[in-house]
Amino acid sequence: MVPEQKPEIDTTVRAVLRDVLGLSAERAAAFDATTPLFGALPELDSMAVAGVLTELEDRLGILIEDDEVDGEMLETFGALTTFASNKALM
Amino acid sequence: MIGHYDWAGGREAMLRFGPAGGPVVVLALPLFEEANRTRAFAVAMLRALAGHGIAALLPDLPGTVESETALEDVTPTDWTEALFAASGDGRCHAAGIRGGCLIAGNIPARSHWFLSPASGEAIVRDLVRARQAADRETGGAFDPVDIDRDGPPIELAGNRVPRALLRALRATEPDAAPPCRVVRLDSDPAPADRHVSGAPLWRRAEPDTDRALAALLAADLADWVRRCEN
Repeated sequence: MVPEQKPEIDTTVRAVLRDVLGLSAERAAAFDATTPLFGALPELDSMAVAGVLTELEDRLGILIEDDEVDGEMLETFGALTTFASNKALM
Repeated sequence: MIGHYDWAGGREAMLRFGPAGGPVVVLALPLFEEANRTRAFAVAMLRALAGHGIAALLPDLPGTVESETALEDVTPTDWTEALFAASGDGRCHAAGIRGGCLIAGNIPARSHWFLSPASGEAIVRDLVRARQAADRETGGAFDPVDIDRDGPPIELAGNRVPRALLRALRATEPDAAPPCRVVRLDSDPAPADRHVSGAPLWRRAEPDTDRALAALLAADLADWVRRCEN
């Protein structure tokens, strides 16, 4: 099932970060809207960015265009969740 | 046990597992960096498969894992030809993980078994995205249109990949003639014969394995091979 509600999207984004970056469940659960991501998590290198985007697309049934990917959407957990929600709940 | 196989382009290493007789599974690892990330997991799965009395082969395809062939010398048909040769010319059950399903699906086999098959387009897109993310840090500006132009191999996610190989991959879907079984992870909403619980290890920068998932998949594959043999 593809998630269709904001809380489910939050859960999916958290699970994608945990799976792609190999974070512990505790660490991923502690993320809040202000938690910095790109540049702050050493695990989030360029390969991991590709993995996060593709996993989000697959799990949320969305398509992310190249020109939508910028530093801003990956800056914090909140920014990424908002981006994913706007895409998935359109 | 470490062995080797010969194909038209040379000789490559191949791991062998399980009994000398009975059905044999040949496994194609995911492509590019994902192969390195999943090799330990694949070995755990094939050891568990041997525990079910089924033999398996894990060939290094040319230009992958520990092959001495340079990836930039690989042509679009090399992987299929090499896997077919490794499989004893189609006498195996062909299994694949992710992009490996594109190759396994291309060889005639007694049956096919796919774990999280990915389209060639998705695989190439991942490589392009990683390159674009790296470019954002270093100020480069890779344009994926370059893939369609003639020229030297393109540096993507640490590999120099021939453009013809990228173009051919992009046009390949993970299909196989029946009987073919597809298994995916719970987190993947795409259709499958079975969804199982586990993390996508091919995404992890640090190679990791998951013994429980390896055992579960080995049991699924063993059951599938036995059903196809009867």
